[in-house]
Amino acid sequence: MIPFLKQNRLLSFAFGFVVLQVLLAGFAPLLAPYDPFNQVMAERMQGPSMLHWLGTDQLGRDVLARILFGYRTSLLTCGTAVLIALVLGGTLGMLAAYYKGWFDRIVMRLMDVLFAFPILLLAIGIIAILGPSTWSAAFAIAIVYTPIFARLLRGPALVICESEYAMGARAIGASDARIIFAHILPNLSSVLLVQTSLLLSAAILVEASLSFLGLGAQPPVPSLGLMLSEGRNFLMLSPWPAIFAGFAILFLSFGFNLLGDALRDTLDPRLRGQEA
Amino acid sequence: MTMRKIGGAQALAAAGLLAGTLAAAADNGGKLQIAIDSAPAGLDPHLITAFNSVVVVQNTIYEGLTAIDQDLSVVPGLAENWEVSDDGLTYTFTLAEGVTFHDGSEFTAEDVAASIERVQAEKTGSPLASRVSPIIETEIVGPNEIVFKLEEPFAPILSSLATIAIVPSEYEDDVDSLQQEPVGTGPFAFSEWQPNSYIELTRFEDYREDGKPHLDAARFNFVPESATRQVGIQAGDYHLLPGLDPATALQLQGQPNVTVQETRDLSYTLIGMNTTREPFDKAEVRTAFNMLLDRQEIIDGALFGAGIPAGPLSPALVNWALDASEFACYETDREGAMEMLEEAGVETPVKLTMNVLPRQDTRDIAQIVQQQVAGAFEIELLNQEIGQFVQDWRNSDFDLFVSANGGSPDPDEYFYRTFYGGGSTNVFGYDDSSVDELLDAGRREREYADRKSIYDQLQRKLACEGPIAHLAYGNLYTAVSDEVDGFEIYANMRLRSLADVTLAQ
Amino acid sequence: MQSRFILNRLVDLLFVLFGVSIVVFLMIRLIPGDAVAIMLGANTDITPERVAELRARLGLDQPFYMQYLDWIGGIFRGDFGTSVWTGRPVATEIAAHVWPTLELTLLSVLVGAGLSIPIGCFMAEARGRSSEVAVRIGAIAGLTIPSFWLGIVSIFLVSKLLPGVSALGYVPFTEDPLGNLQRMILPVIALSLPMLANLSRLVRSAMLDALGQDYIRTARAKGAGHRRLIYKHALRNALIPFITSVGVLTGYMLGGAIVVEQVFAIPGLGRLVLGAISERNYPLVQATILVMTFAFVFVNFLVDLLYAVIDPRVARK
Repeated sequence: MIPFLKQNRLLSFAFGFVVLQVLLAGFAPLLAPYDPFNQVMAERMQGPSMLHWLGTDQLGRDVLARILFGYRTSLLTCGTAVLIALVLGGTLGMLAAYYKGWFDRIVMRLMDVLFAFPILLLAIGIIAILGPSTWSAAFAIAIVYTPIFARLLRGPALVICESEYAMGARAIGASDARIIFAHILPNLSSVLLVQTSLLLSAAILVEASLSFLGLGAQPPVPSLGLMLSEGRNFLMLSPWPAIFAGFAILFLSFGFNLLGDALRDTLDPRLRGQEA
Repeated sequence: MTMRKIGGAQALAAAGLLAGTLAAAADNGGKLQIAIDSAPAGLDPHLITAFNSVVVVQNTIYEGLTAIDQDLSVVPGLAENWEVSDDGLTYTFTLAEGVTFHDGSEFTAEDVAASIERVQAEKTGSPLASRVSPIIETEIVGPNEIVFKLEEPFAPILSSLATIAIVPSEYEDDVDSLQQEPVGTGPFAFSEWQPNSYIELTRFEDYREDGKPHLDAARFNFVPESATRQVGIQAGDYHLLPGLDPATALQLQGQPNVTVQETRDLSYTLIGMNTTREPFDKAEVRTAFNMLLDRQEIIDGALFGAGIPAGPLSPALVNWALDASEFACYETDREGAMEMLEEAGVETPVKLTMNVLPRQDTRDIAQIVQQQVAGAFEIELLNQEIGQFVQDWRNSDFDLFVSANGGSPDPDEYFYRTFYGGGSTNVFGYDDSSVDELLDAGRREREYADRKSIYDQLQRKLACEGPIAHLAYGNLYTAVSDEVDGFEIYANMRLRSLADVTLAQ
Repeated sequence: MQSRFILNRLVDLLFVLFGVSIVVFLMIRLIPGDAVAIMLGANTDITPERVAELRARLGLDQPFYMQYLDWIGGIFRGDFGTSVWTGRPVATEIAAHVWPTLELTLLSVLVGAGLSIPIGCFMAEARGRSSEVAVRIGAIAGLTIPSFWLGIVSIFLVSKLLPGVSALGYVPFTEDPLGNLQRMILPVIALSLPMLANLSRLVRSAMLDALGQDYIRTARAKGAGHRRLIYKHALRNALIPFITSVGVLTGYMLGGAIVVEQVFAIPGLGRLVLGAISERNYPLVQATILVMTFAFVFVNFLVDLLYAVIDPRVARK
C-alpha cells in the first residue's frame, strides 16, 4: 500500500486521517485529559475552555475524554460488526458461487430476503429482540451487512470459478478450501478492501443512529450517538456536547468513506463511478 | 348543541368538526394550541396512569364528585355538598342538578354508582381500584342523592374521589370504547384524535357552569422534541406547554411573550430496594445507602437544579409533610455509611444491578448515584425498555431500581399500598408489623392532629429504613403564551383552569 | 424474452415478500416482554383472568403458526388487524401516517435528484482544476454527515437566529399548505443530502465517461455547441445508472426517514413504528414494517423493470 500513497495525494490524506483517528481511539486512555466517567457537578454544561477543551456534559464529564473513548466504542462496535459480516457474508457468497445449484439458490434467496429490508429498520427489529446494548447494535449491523458482502463476493467468485486457472487447480486435484483461499480470495482482495472501508463508514453512521434512538450503547458508556441524543435534551442551555459529538461522527465516517473512495480510484480505475 | 354518539371514529370526527364550526360561529373564543411530548396511551379515565393521558382527559373531559384545588384541598365537583356520619362510615353526596354528559344523556346518581363499580370491577383492572376499595356499598337515594357505605373509616376517601371520573352508566361493562372516545361531563368534549399528530377537544355547550368554557376548542399537539416545543411557543404556534422539562423551562424563563408558571411537583424520583434480597434485607444497609447519597448533587445534575430533596411525602402536602432536614440519614456521610455496612457484616463493595426507567432524568440520576455509592456498592446499570422495566418491577425482579412515581394529595393513598405488608404496589417485599399497625391506625383516625402524629412517625421510619430512598421532588413547569389569560398551574398536573382560559385574538 | 424476464422477477419478488413476512412475524414474536404486560402498565390490581382475557383477544394464546396464518389470511382480505392501544384498524393507523412520510420522501427525492444533475455537471466541468478535490470532499461529506445531527443543529440555529419563524413541527398540507412546506424545508435538506451527494458523484463520473467516448468527440469535431453536447449525449448515457441509483437510494431514504421524522416530529411511518415497538403493539409493528419493506422491495422491482425497458439487453442476460 505504501507505494500507492506516494502516487496519490488524496489517498495519502485519507489514509493519514483514518490512521490518526484510529490512533486517537487506541491511545484514548493515555490521551484523554480526564476520566470519561468522572462527574464533577460543579463544572456541568460548560463551554470550551482551557480546562475542558471541548466543554463538559450535563453531569460535568469532560466532552473531549468522552469523545476519545466514544471513538473507541464506535470503532470497536463497527469494526467487529463489519468483520463478522465480511467473514459470514463473504463465506456464504463464495460457497454459493463455488457449489452453485440448490445451495446457491437457497443462500442467495435468504440473502435477498434480508436485503429487502431498509437497513435501519432491520437493525431496529433485531435490537428489539436482543435488547438495546453496544453488542446488540454490533450484531444487528453484522446481520444487516451480511447479504451485502455475500452478493458482493458471489459475482466475482463465480467468474473466477469458471476461469482457467481455477479449473486448472481443480484438475490437478487441489481441495475446495485450497482453491477458495489460494485462488479465489486473493483475486477479490481489492474489491474487498474498498467495500470494507465504505461499509465501515456507513456502519459508523448506522451505529450512531441506533445509539441516538436509544437502541445502541447505554449510559454511562461513552458513545458518540448517545452523547448526541443526551445533548439534545439540553441543547438550548449548552449545545457543545451535541455539536462536538456530531463532528466526531462525521469525521470518523468521512475518513473511511474518503479512504474507500480513494482506494477504489487507485486499485481499480475500472470501478470508478460505480457507487456503493 | 348536543352530540349524539353515532359510533365509528369517522362519524364522530365529522360531528366534532361540525361542532367546531358551529361553536365558532356562536362565540369567537378561539382554539387553544397545547403541545405535549407524546400521544396518550389511551383516554379511559379509569385505566390511564400516564401524564399525557391524565392531562388530556382529567378535569377537561371528565369530572369527579370532588375536585382538588390549587392548594390541594378538596372542593366540590359533581357533588355540590356532602355529609359524613359521626362514625365515618356513611357519606351522603348531593349531586349537581341539570348536568348532562357530552352524548346528551342526563347525569344521575346511577352514573355515579356505575362508575364506582366500574373502577372496582376486576374485569376493568383499574389502577385506581384501591382508592375506592373501602366503599362496600352504594345506595341511590334519589336521582341527585347517593350514599357510600364504608367498611371502616377511610379518611382519604374525599380526595380519592377527585381522581374517579364519572362516566355514563352504559359504559360500566365496556372497557374498550372510552379508550378512544371518551364521554364525560367536563367543560370540553372529545372531538378528534389524529394518531401521532393531535387530539382535539371542543367546547361543551351544555356545560353545568354557565358561560364556561370560553374557548371554542383545545388541541393537544404531540411534539416530541423539547426544542421544537420551545421554538413553537415563541413563534406563536403553541399557547401552552404543560409538563415542561426543567432544561426547556430554564431556557424559556425571561423570554418575551412567554410566562413560565411553576409549582412543586407531587411526583418524585426514587430508588427502590428489594428487601427480599441481600444485602437490602437489612434495615441498616438501607440506611447506609441513604447516607451515601448526595441529594443536592442529584438535583443539580439530573434536574438542572430545579427541585428539592425528597422525604416520603411531598412538601406540596403542606399539612402532612416533614421537612427533609428532619431525616438524619439525609446528611451525606460516607464514613458513617461504611462503618454501618461493616457493622452489618456486609462485605464491600457489593456487586448489584440497578434497573433504570427509560427517562432522561432517571438515566442521569442512575449515573450520578452509581458514582456516589461507588466503593460501597458496585452498581451495574440496566437501561431497560419500559415494558421490561414494568415487568421486572411487577415481578419484584430487581436488586435496585430507579424510577419516578406520581404522588397523591393524601398520605394514606401512597403509603398504604406501597409499604403495607403485601400491599398492592409493595414490590419490595417490605414487611414490618409496626409500620402495618401505624398504617391501619392512620386509616381509622379522623382527627387531623392524631393522623398527623401517626404519619410523622411513619415518615421518620420510612425515610431511612424503608425500602425506598426518596430522592427529589422536581418542579412542575408550564409555559404559557402571553395571549393566554386565566391559566393556573395545578400541582396534580390537571388542566383544571382550562375552563377559565381566554385567548387574546 | 421480455415477459419471461418479468415473470422471473415476479417469482423472485413473491419469494422475497413471503420471506419478509416470515422474518417480520418471527422478529416481533421474539421480542421479550409482551403487549399485555405493557398494556396493563404499572397497574397492580390486575387479575390473571384479565391478563388471559387480553391475551386471548390479541390472539397471543394461539400457537405461532396459527397466529401467522391468521395474520396473513387477514392481510389478503385487507385486514391488517387492530391496533392494541387505540382499538382502530391497523390499516387506518397506517393510512393516517403514510402521507407525511410520502411527502417527505418525495420532496427529498425531487430535491436530491433534481439538484444532482447541475451539481454533477459542474463537478465534471471542474475536473482537473484545483477545485476538484474540494468538490469531491464536499460530496463525501454530504454522504457521511449524520442526518439527525444536521437536524438537531438546524433546530438549534433556527431557535437562536429565527425564534419567530414556524420552521419546526408539522401541520398537515390540507390544513395549511404554506405552513406545511415551510416546515418541510429543514427535514428535506437533512434527508436529501446523502442522495444529492451520491447522485452528483454519479452524474459527474458518467459525464466524464461520456466525454471520453468516441461519439462525443465526433460530435464535438462536427462543431456542436459544447453545452448542448454535454447535456444531450452524456446525460442520456447516464440515464440508466442514474435511475437505478434513484431507485435504490429512495429505498434507503425510507430508512433515513425514521430518524429524521423522530428529530423533526413528523407523524410518519417511522415514528409510528418506533412508538409501536416501544409499546409492543404487535399488530401495528408488524404491519408497519411489512408495509415499509414492501414499499422498498416494490421500488426496487420497478427500477428493475424500468431498467429492462430502457436497456433491453438487461432482460436478455
